[in-house]
Amino acid sequence: MSDLKAKLGLDVFKEDKAFPIAIKKGLERDPRLKKMVLICPAGLYGEDESGKIALSADGCLECGTCLLVCGADILDWQYPRGGAGVQFRFG
Amino acid sequence: MEQEDDSRFDAIVIGGGLAGLSAAYTLAAEGMEVLVLERGDYPGAKNVTGGRIYVSSIRELFPDLWTKAPLERFIAHEEICVMGRDSSLNVRYDGSELLREPHQSYSILRGKFDKWFARQAEHKGATIICKTRVDDIIIENGRVVGVVAAGDRLMANVVIACDGVLSFAAGKAGLNKSADSGHFAIGFKEVIEIDPAVLEDRFNLTEDEGAARLFIGDVTAGKFGGGFLYTNKSSVSLGLVLGIGALVVEEPTVQVPELLNKFKQRSEISRLIRGGKTVEYSAHMIPEGGIKAMGKLYADGILVAGDAAGFSINIGITVRGMEYAMASGYYAARAVINAKEKNDYSAATLAVYEKFLNDSFVMTDFKNFRESLDVLKYPLLYGHYPELIVGIMKDLYEMPAGPKTRIFPTVRKHLGLRELWAMVPLCRRMMKI
Amino acid sequence: MNIVVAMKQIPDLQQIRIRNRCPVLDDVPLTLGKIDKNALEAGLKIRENAGNKGRVIVVSAGNRDIEETVKEALAAGADEACIVVDEAASDLESSISAILLAAAIKRIGVADIILFGEGSGDNYSGQVGARVAEILDLPQVGYAGNVETTGRTARITRVLEDREEIVEVELPVVVCILADINEPRIPSVSQILKAGKKHKEIIEIDDLTMETSGRRIETISNLAPETARKREPVNTCGALCAVLEKEGFWAR
Ligand SMILES: Cc1cc2nc3c(=O)[nH]c(=O)nc-3n(C[C@H](O)[C@H](O)[C@H](O)COP(=O)(O)OP(=O)(O)OC[C@H]3O[C@@H](n4cnc5c(N)ncnc54)[C@H](O)[C@@H]3O)c2cc1C
Ligand code: SF4
Repeated sequence: MSDLKAKLGLDVFKEDKAFPIAIKKGLERDPRLKKMVLICPAGLYGEDESGKIALSADGCLECGTCLLVCGADILDWQYPRGGAGVQFRFG
Repeated sequence: MEQEDDSRFDAIVIGGGLAGLSAAYTLAAEGMEVLVLERGDYPGAKNVTGGRIYVSSIRELFPDLWTKAPLERFIAHEEICVMGRDSSLNVRYDGSELLREPHQSYSILRGKFDKWFARQAEHKGATIICKTRVDDIIIENGRVVGVVAAGDRLMANVVIACDGVLSFAAGKAGLNKSADSGHFAIGFKEVIEIDPAVLEDRFNLTEDEGAARLFIGDVTAGKFGGGFLYTNKSSVSLGLVLGIGALVVEEPTVQVPELLNKFKQRSEISRLIRGGKTVEYSAHMIPEGGIKAMGKLYADGILVAGDAAGFSINIGITVRGMEYAMASGYYAARAVINAKEKNDYSAATLAVYEKFLNDSFVMTDFKNFRESLDVLKYPLLYGHYPELIVGIMKDLYEMPAGPKTRIFPTVRKHLGLRELWAMVPLCRRMMKI
Repeated sequence: MNIVVAMKQIPDLQQIRIRNRCPVLDDVPLTLGKIDKNALEAGLKIRENAGNKGRVIVVSAGNRDIEETVKEALAAGADEACIVVDEAASDLESSISAILLAAAIKRIGVADIILFGEGSGDNYSGQVGARVAEILDLPQVGYAGNVETTGRTARITRVLEDREEIVEVELPVVVCILADINEPRIPSVSQILKAGKKHKEIIEIDDLTMETSGRRIETISNLAPETARKREPVNTCGALCAVLEKEGFWAR
């Protein structure tokens, strides 16, 4: 997936000190989260050997798919603060 | 920390996308005090589209807008490509009406267009503040009276929620639309920069002409969805749209973003983008449930427009959302202007918004395409049939060493009775759109 | 007390992409320099410490867009702006910028403390503050990490490579501020709304009678450094160390 990282590197991201998406504590093994490993267009969800899903912070395209698939009971999900996050030049 | 600003707006628009800017532009042109709050660095910074806007249906709503609009190319050539695993069939359509002015549709890049459109709205008198996320809406006695943004309470007679597909604002006002994953798609794309001369040469275009190509079949690895390619001035937009419902029900075989790489590597595509440089990768969700997935469009002191209201449909050939966003923004503004005349912003008065939409192309389209999503969610369309079609083509074109089979038996081999019988339900489905 | 802050309109550096080693500036949004924002924040603090007795006035020279861009500073708390509009001002030579800014400062009349960023965000010549001081015949203190005023004196901490120097100087003075010495405040929506109503004095370049010599420095090229990536695949730490050692980045 280094190719995906390179692609994300082309986009402009402005820093938000608090990353606005997080998996709720204790729910890291939820099967809905597991689906995101394959679905997230930025490839930000990963599974470790123990079956725990982790979300890596940088490169979120704010598409909202993980919120739709997992729901607000599993993810704390909000847009980054104004002026932060991805800024598309072309769109 | 929260402070109340002394000024009160006629309308506060949440989101400076096409819906929001259309509403602001229309309101400001009538001399209304309107404030747009946009969370991106600039309007367009958060917005993704495939890249084709049909102007014909909305031209009249914004008569002064189009002559100088920074659109990319007018679409002069249409092509559909049915992709099998290692072969494909292309159908190209050229028509003189596509070349005639005013042109029907254009390719578009939202980063450029939205920024420009925002400036036009400002010239009309709208106030647009970017880098500002609306965090909440203010409800008093059951009516929406303003918004909270970055700790400030900002008051208005009416709030127009144009905050796109996730629309937290509409949700907070109780105007929820469907949250069924089957009613949404994920779209992701690359913008690939190519020298205009090379681009025109490769796609057989003259200076302002553009091409639109759609792909169905192996591009989505059999999943509900398709691929698109639009030519811009000096780039192409290349991407995929996939129904999220299907991805959730049955695991995809590869990581979804990897499908775009595979798409780019197909010989049909790689030769078109050769030497091009990817300059952006983006993704966004698309509401495509149509009328069945729509929520309520208004309540006391609030209206919802654009993707926030679910005004986007998948009609098989394309996803269409931009012209609905612009039209619904326009009609929302009209409803607010009407409410101001009556000095009444209750749901009863704002209901005229729905009437405006019903009388326009917007709801007509949505009613006509009510079934499109269900019809199109037919897995055979994305795997079996594309293979079948290219299989027939392959045999028809193949010249074996020995004698060539007659044409009819060749086709018959693929389209046996059983296959034809199986198509009956599909035809029945198709008749609904 | 009049606190003047000089700020430069520059392209949003994060939005600039590189094509064939050249920066692509089309459509890149404009903003005010990052260090200039530190200077503004320092100015606002000085005003606040003086019991908000005094005005913070932003001066800038730029093309027509500056009228819009300067609102960022007015929203963040500056009281007014005095700007020189010159269509050619997007890439001025430092010597000319200094002449224009000095003219704007003279227009303001009284300037007790004049703050600059140590260098501009885009070309970082680091000359303009010193040149303005020269034109106005004022003392200038650079590398400032902190500025405090009491009455007519300023006490300035200069952050140098290996030590901190504290100097005292009579006002008026020109001070050049270092990057990242403070956290510039982010304006609220109502502050942004009010910014539009604050006073902006706009000076058209043609209204200024002054001598500027033409361009004396010609930019021959402006290319991103070539980064020849070696693309050496490594799969163990040992291999990585070996490669780094071979390339001379690291020695055992
Ligand atoms: C890959 C893809 C391909 C598509 N292809 C086509 C196509 O070819 N043709 C077509 O017509 N349509 C297409 N669509 C659909 C079309 O792009 C959308 O329907 C359209 O952009 C919707 O416009 P909008 O103004 O409603 O929403 P958006 O454009 O999403 O605008 C919403 C705005 O609200 C802002 N916002 C959100 N929340 C907040 C908040 N809390 N505070 C402040 N601001 C906020 C966002 O930053 C954004 O600017 C496609 C979509 C995708 C993703
Ligand atoms: S919002 Fe989209 S890009 Fe961001 S983590 Fe979720 S699925 Fe991935």
